Amino acid sequence: MLAYYCRIAIKSLRRNPMLTALMIGAIAVGVGVCITTLTVYRLMSGNPMEARNDVLYSVTLDSWDPNKPWREEHPELPPPELTYRDAQALYNSDIPDRKVMMRKASFVVEAPPKSGVAPFLVTGRTTTKDFFGMFNVPFKYGSGWDRAADDAAQMVVVLSKKTNDKAFGGANSVGQTVRLDGHDFKVIGVLDEWAPTPLFYDLNNGAFNEIEELFVPYGIGTQFEMQSSGNTNCWRDQDINNFQDFLNSDCVWIQMWVELRGKEQAEAFQQFIDNYVREQKSLGRFERPLNNHLRHPDEWLKVNEAVEDDNRVLVGLSFTFLAVCLLNMIGLLLAKFLGAAPLVGLRRALGASKSAIFQQHLVEVGVIGLGGGLLGIALAALGLWGVRHLYESYDELTRLDFPMLLTAIGIAVLSGLLAGFYPTWRVCRVQPAAYLKTQ
Amino acid sequence: MELRPILSAMLRNKTGAILVGLQIALTLAVVANSVAIIMTRVEKIGRPPGIDSDNLFFVQSYGFGPNYNQRSTIDDDLRLLRSLPGVVSASPISQIPMSGGGSSTNLGPEQTREKVTINTNHFSVDEHGVETLGVKLVEGRNFTQSEIQYNPDPNSSEFVPFVILNKDAARAIFGTEHAVGKTVYDQSHSAVVIGVMENMLGSWVGWDKLTQVMLTPRIEAGPLSRYVVRAEPGRRDALMAEVEQKLSNSNSNSNPNRAISWVKSHTQIKERSYRADSRMVAFLGVLIGLMVSVTALGIVGLASFHVSVRRKQIGTRRAVGARRVDIIRYFMVENWLLTTGGVVAGSVLAFALGQWLSSAYSLPRLPPMYVVGGVVVLWILGQLAAFLPARRAAAIPPAIATRTV
Repeated sequence: MLAYYCRIAIKSLRRNPMLTALMIGAIAVGVGVCITTLTVYRLMSGNPMEARNDVLYSVTLDSWDPNKPWREEHPELPPPELTYRDAQALYNSDIPDRKVMMRKASFVVEAPPKSGVAPFLVTGRTTTKDFFGMFNVPFKYGSGWDRAADDAAQMVVVLSKKTNDKAFGGANSVGQTVRLDGHDFKVIGVLDEWAPTPLFYDLNNGAFNEIEELFVPYGIGTQFEMQSSGNTNCWRDQDINNFQDFLNSDCVWIQMWVELRGKEQAEAFQQFIDNYVREQKSLGRFERPLNNHLRHPDEWLKVNEAVEDDNRVLVGLSFTFLAVCLLNMIGLLLAKFLGAAPLVGLRRALGASKSAIFQQHLVEVGVIGLGGGLLGIALAALGLWGVRHLYESYDELTRLDFPMLLTAIGIAVLSGLLAGFYPTWRVCRVQPAAYLKTQ
Repeated sequence: MELRPILSAMLRNKTGAILVGLQIALTLAVVANSVAIIMTRVEKIGRPPGIDSDNLFFVQSYGFGPNYNQRSTIDDDLRLLRSLPGVVSASPISQIPMSGGGSSTNLGPEQTREKVTINTNHFSVDEHGVETLGVKLVEGRNFTQSEIQYNPDPNSSEFVPFVILNKDAARAIFGTEHAVGKTVYDQSHSAVVIGVMENMLGSWVGWDKLTQVMLTPRIEAGPLSRYVVRAEPGRRDALMAEVEQKLSNSNSNSNPNRAISWVKSHTQIKERSYRADSRMVAFLGVLIGLMVSVTALGIVGLASFHVSVRRKQIGTRRAVGARRVDIIRYFMVENWLLTTGGVVAGSVLAFALGQWLSSAYSLPRLPPMYVVGGVVVLWILGQLAAFLPARRAAAIPPAIATRTV
């Protein structure tokens, strides 16, 4: 029966090729635009730490200016980063299972002389050992470092895949030596491809940047008095004349994350940081009201507004556009179905039941929806190709994946049926007698 | 005018009329708001940078190792840059205008906490900085060579004794008074304003304090150093390649203790900073185009369909004396009524959407001009879309009335 209905549907659609093309085209364009903006939105609003969301927390303290909140528009938010000394104090707590404090720094990499690669500048991250485990960072060769390396600021380095490709031609470089800023570092690990999007662990330094190009123990930055190459914000009037002054200052520039299992541990750590701040208050620091937060990655992405408003506006406008396409289709279908009403009247008179007429028309609508959906996917692929040109760094990420393809078909068929329902219902109400008379 | 029969014919097929009207209404709402967003972005991207943007490029160098000497590297590099034919002028510069990276300082006319609130973009240059950037001094004087400070400790927050402000910064700090000769304060230091220059844009293109700029006579401590180079018109790209080659490590004559990390034109830097905005313009432009086409094609399709089912009626009207122009007019008026209904509803929708966008996403309010423009465009579009089917209707011969199916 379905095959028969399909045949009638196609026959009917071929009777008005222009109209059919218009309807399929309208759905296709509507779906194409929606899927394009949705893909970009989903990319931006993703949580790369979804699997570990429940145990990871970013740590923030409100150490900012008593006269002015960190962000005037959101006075409830503390700065997203910590001062060096506060990070150090919190890191010493043994409540969290795992913890990390870190910041960005620039390095000049000198590959082994025989490679012939000229020294090049990279953005690095000085961090503590748990960074790799806490964030499920994939390794291609070797591994991260241990506590001893952190404690002694050992000169070891984990390279990103990109840096390893550049300096060692992609070979296993574990055990080799690479010069960073003129010092010899031992390569102990090489990462595999890793592109957390957004870059959740340091949203303040470009939420859609790539990961750093190498990672070294946190203490290296202090030992070599390396300046931060990330965002640094200061408010207090302090004379800073050397690196030690800077470390002791109230400037915020260190990111901190902890891993806490269960509610009790989370509450205990919250208690710990609140107590720490109270103690500091008695020493004249932290003049703002107590406002310290442990936030899961999803909440962290939200309060830091990783998704640009522009993307939300675009998704909204795209769906309005889809609505226009559907209205367009309803109008055309209605006109078409009612135009063929005499035929329906004839069929009814010959014994077709209302439900048979309903099904026949619904199949026709479904064919339009499916056709529109498939064409829509092609258009979305074209749209995303355009997007890749607009957003240089998202190359791999703005491709259609399987869930998005399903969504596209789903939206198309659903909107096709939605748009087809009313015209179908109307044509079923046709009184056979009214049309037979005029024949 | 035959409004009444047209209206009553439309009322017989209310749903069809409402659907087209709604479609036109939504189109107007989206198009008016999208155009408004596009115009604010275009305006933002089009702001004059205030510097000789087209002829400027920037070089970033990063020193490493125990043999690196920031001061002598900068002196050597500048000597080389200034000696190249085609270079108008070159200066060290602490940050790159409009790049999205920079530093800002709170300044005020008096040293009290309440007064030191004017957030100012801050660039350090040497005595060639003003000329290299291509900003005109309007009052006072430029820095002299002896005033250029250098402190080898990168952490030092030491201030300079002399600064140049741009007009906007001077006005924000001193109001209408002459700024030259006055003293500006940050929280713990002071400096004398020796010059005021024309406006230029600061570091962050999305920042509302972007237009307030201060230049200080200082060479920044290492290991990072940046230079701004102003080329003669037309020679920028060739010079960029030459500079990269002459300064980089692959050249055996150059400094082996540093890496040139990039050489970029100001055009590239601006483009990158405005990428989010140009992306929005592109997206919305495509959306408007598609939406208008879908609506117009929908009108054409629907009108053609109506013509084809009304062939007999049209033939009858022609047979009883209606002229071709009457038939055309009928369809045009019908369409005009539909469009008018749509744009009236659409204007309300457009303002509602605009209101919501401005409150939820802090976009500027929708200027009524765009709605008016949208109404006119849709009217014209509707008439154009209806004209083709109407002309086909007019071509239906009266004889058709006498035929039975």
